Amino acid sequence: MTVPRADAERRAESGFSGPLLQVDDLHVEFRTRDGVAHAVNGVSYSVDAGETLAVLGESGSGKSVSAQAIMGIIDSPPGFVTRGAIRFRGSDLLTLSDEQRRRIRGRRIAMIFQDALSALNPVYTVGFQLAEMFRVHEGLSRGAAKRRAIELMDRVRIPAARQRVHDYPHQFSGGMRQRIMIAMAIALGPDVLIADEPTTALDVTVQAQIMELLAELQRESEMGLILITHDLGVVADVADRIAVMYAGRIVEEASVHDLYARPAHPYSKGLLESIPRVDLKGSELAAIKGQPPNLLRVPSGCAFHPRCPYRREVCVTKEPPLFDVAPGRGSACHFWEEVLDGR
Amino acid sequence: MGRYTVRRLLQLIPVVLGTTFIIHFLVWQLPGDPFAGRCGDRPCAPAFVAMMTEKYQLDEPWIFQYLTFLKNLLVGDFGESFNGVPVAQILADTWPVTIRLALVGIAFEIIIGIGAGVLTGMRRGGFLDNLSLVTTLFFLAIPVFVIGFTLQYLLGVQFPIIRPTVTPEARWDELIVPGFVLASLQMAIVVRLARSTIVENLRSDYVRTATAKGLPRMRVVGVHLLRNSLIPVVTFLGTDLGNLMGGAVVTEGIFNINGVGGQLFRAIHLHDSTIIVPMVTVLVLVYLSVNLLVDLLYAVLDPRIRYD
Amino acid sequence: MTEGRSLTGGPTGPPTAAGEAPTPLGDAAGGEIRTLWSDAWYDLRHKPLFWISSLLVVVLITMAAMPTLFTDINPEHAVLANSLEPPGGSAWFGYDLQGRDVYARTIYGARTSILVGVLAMLVTTTVGLTVGIMAGYLGGWPDGVMSRIGDMFLGLPYVLGGIVILSSVAGVRSNPSEAAIMAAVILVLAVLAWPVTARVARSSVLSVRAADYVVAARALGAGPRRLILRHILPNTVAPVIVIATLNVGAFIGAEATLSFLGIGLRSPVISWGVAIADHQDYVRNALHPMLFPALFLCVTVLAFVMLGEAIREALDPKLR
Ligand SMILES: Nc1ncnc2c1ncn2[C@@H]1O[C@H](COP(=O)(O)OP(=O)(O)O)[C@@H](O)[C@H]1O
Ligand SMILES: [Mg+2]
Repeated sequence: MTVPRADAERRAESGFSGPLLQVDDLHVEFRTRDGVAHAVNGVSYSVDAGETLAVLGESGSGKSVSAQAIMGIIDSPPGFVTRGAIRFRGSDLLTLSDEQRRRIRGRRIAMIFQDALSALNPVYTVGFQLAEMFRVHEGLSRGAAKRRAIELMDRVRIPAARQRVHDYPHQFSGGMRQRIMIAMAIALGPDVLIADEPTTALDVTVQAQIMELLAELQRESEMGLILITHDLGVVADVADRIAVMYAGRIVEEASVHDLYARPAHPYSKGLLESIPRVDLKGSELAAIKGQPPNLLRVPSGCAFHPRCPYRREVCVTKEPPLFDVAPGRGSACHFWEEVLDGR
Repeated sequence: MGRYTVRRLLQLIPVVLGTTFIIHFLVWQLPGDPFAGRCGDRPCAPAFVAMMTEKYQLDEPWIFQYLTFLKNLLVGDFGESFNGVPVAQILADTWPVTIRLALVGIAFEIIIGIGAGVLTGMRRGGFLDNLSLVTTLFFLAIPVFVIGFTLQYLLGVQFPIIRPTVTPEARWDELIVPGFVLASLQMAIVVRLARSTIVENLRSDYVRTATAKGLPRMRVVGVHLLRNSLIPVVTFLGTDLGNLMGGAVVTEGIFNINGVGGQLFRAIHLHDSTIIVPMVTVLVLVYLSVNLLVDLLYAVLDPRIRYD
Repeated sequence: MTEGRSLTGGPTGPPTAAGEAPTPLGDAAGGEIRTLWSDAWYDLRHKPLFWISSLLVVVLITMAAMPTLFTDINPEHAVLANSLEPPGGSAWFGYDLQGRDVYARTIYGARTSILVGVLAMLVTTTVGLTVGIMAGYLGGWPDGVMSRIGDMFLGLPYVLGGIVILSSVAGVRSNPSEAAIMAAVILVLAVLAWPVTARVARSSVLSVRAADYVVAARALGAGPRRLILRHILPNTVAPVIVIATLNVGAFIGAEATLSFLGIGLRSPVISWGVAIADHQDYVRNALHPMLFPALFLCVTVLAFVMLGEAIREALDPKLR
């Protein structure tokens, strides 16, 4: 793949005016020995160039699986995308050939993983793993690719990049390793960057630095950023919009400000209340009661009903659609008005 | 890397001392006449007993005896068979054949063992995978000498496409079937080991990263998956060389190959332990040295070890 | 025949990333043990391989314990006129070189093989478990000393070690009795194999020793006896059972190999390995005196290896 041709593709597609990346009614299931786990059950979200979408939900809610579906890296078997569409600049990725998808992976849509230590190959130098992007996708020579790798390491502010390019992943600190993952993901200037819990494995101070770096890279390059997290605190400053996931569905979508100010779904409300707050010191945290759902047997109706303080008959029998709460704002709760009003 | 090498070398020293001491102790220090039944079917000649007593200082306290034993080993003096041929001479004459046989065997382990292991690991649960699970189970269970006899009988006697025994020159083509027999057990283990590491690493995060980078499948497998998965296999091949040498005694005995193992096989039948003990000791030392080399190779392949 | 040893690494062992010998079940904590066992049993019950191999093992053990159930022919009874007569009539498996009944000798051979395999396994497991638990529990220099001693024995590969010991030990060389040969073979197998069991036991002790509930029990004043018996031993049992079962198969194969080489069992002991060795020069005239013992040998080793593998898979959650 040569650079001019990539530019040509980009120009050809730039005529499209819809969202940069749009996930529509995505379903993913894992067919395991114990049964079929419905990990993603009709997720829809979209992200535009320069926009940051935070995907929030407790662990097991299907955040990573939906991201892997976008990348096309789901373990298959056991995992299968059974329904839905993933439109990148208007064309459905799920209908592309393997080779076409491979060309998009890493180059146009890139991903950062949670645990950089295990996500980097332990037996190759970080320089090799960075340079690989340029050698494979752009056909650069070893020397040229290595120079680009060093530039990248400078760009994500790894000190002494020229020397450290020859080091192995285990020789870096956790924060530095995550910077290398980020460098690898932005190597070819992707249009969309998916960051799957990029700071979960890191110390608090390092977390802030990494989030800052991501935000800065995004501003410079106008890429769409999907930021996956289970920690509301992490995304408050950087996200434009938040999509809250529960049991493989989006239960609420809102701007950061709206969600913080007035959540429209009991689950989001519960999440907000479980953040420790200085002003409520001493009083008990109102955490969400009950167990996360078993994906082999997702509860009927609204999957959240067994844990929901607003539960009524209809919640058990009827699955709520994503109601329009306000323009660009939705909640999948039969009683969203009550929740919104804080009743 | 330097520190690691030195540490490995230092760790090898007590093992070499201990292992040679165990051999020495079992041969010379156990109660009973050390010369009983040692010289074939007849009692040992008094001259031979006198020579051995002198050479191994058998009248001295055991620590002197052991040091003499070590000194003789170090200077390459492995003693003589009871009819007067120096063991060093026998070893020099027979090594090339055994090395050739071992190379054929290792080639089988690498080509068939790793090949089948990788193939079945990549397509878990398929027909080939199940076939190989059953086949390797048989190779794991059937003793090498039974496999040897079976192939010798089938290919040498029943449907004669090879000579049942190997000529003294031991040409490469004659060593194919014995090499297969020698490697049969290890091949099965390598298939299973390679398969399980491939299966494990296929699910690993770094392979997922390599895919997410948009690398072609061939490169994900060839560069990222194989390199990591083969590290334990290479280690196994090295550490199992001791069993391969034991197998060489059996294989060379069956196919009448004139290598170190064949010599040992004959010496056992002639009850000539004067040559059994030094030959086995040398084999054990070779085995321990190869193990050291494999450890160093391991460090070359896996940087996490090297920088400890 | 040597997989019991080789699968777990050689003398200096593959240095794993953690610096510990790999164990099948190193990190099973005590709280999980009950579910581990019931899960394993659930898994085993649904495995045909487990039932086939168990059935074979039961038949073989019966054969070893009560050979007269299977034959009333005296395996020592020799009629030279029948030498190498092929199977047929009253002799299902034919006659051997000395004109003895091959069927009877094959049945009685099971007794020797099972006896050697099981006794060697018991010695190996007892010694290996004791040393391994001591080393893991005590730590520090006793651990270092015991581990290094284990390494020294692992420096002797099975067949080579067997050759050097059995061809040298005085009591075995000069016209020994039946019991003395058997004891020598059993001890040689155990002497060469115990360090593997010890390693596995040691690393599972190390993984339990740091577990919270053991630390808690120690803090509550549990003595070493109680700690070892109640907390540590149950955790080392699972991986040791796997090794022990595989070892029986490996030992039976190794005994046959040593007997075949002429340094293990020998007449008058009735053994499959000896039968094969005695008739190897006559294959062109008569295959059957070798064929049947070899067949029984393979099936026996296979049965124990299959059983061991089935248990290993059932007990190792990673393999599910
Ligand atoms: N490889 C897999 N095999 C089987 N099930 C899986 C696999 N990956 C994910 N799942 C299922 O999908 C669910 C959602 O996982 P995931 O998307 O990783 O959650 P999270 O929101 O924490 O990222 C898991 O609870 C699990 O049941
Ligand atoms: Mg996740």
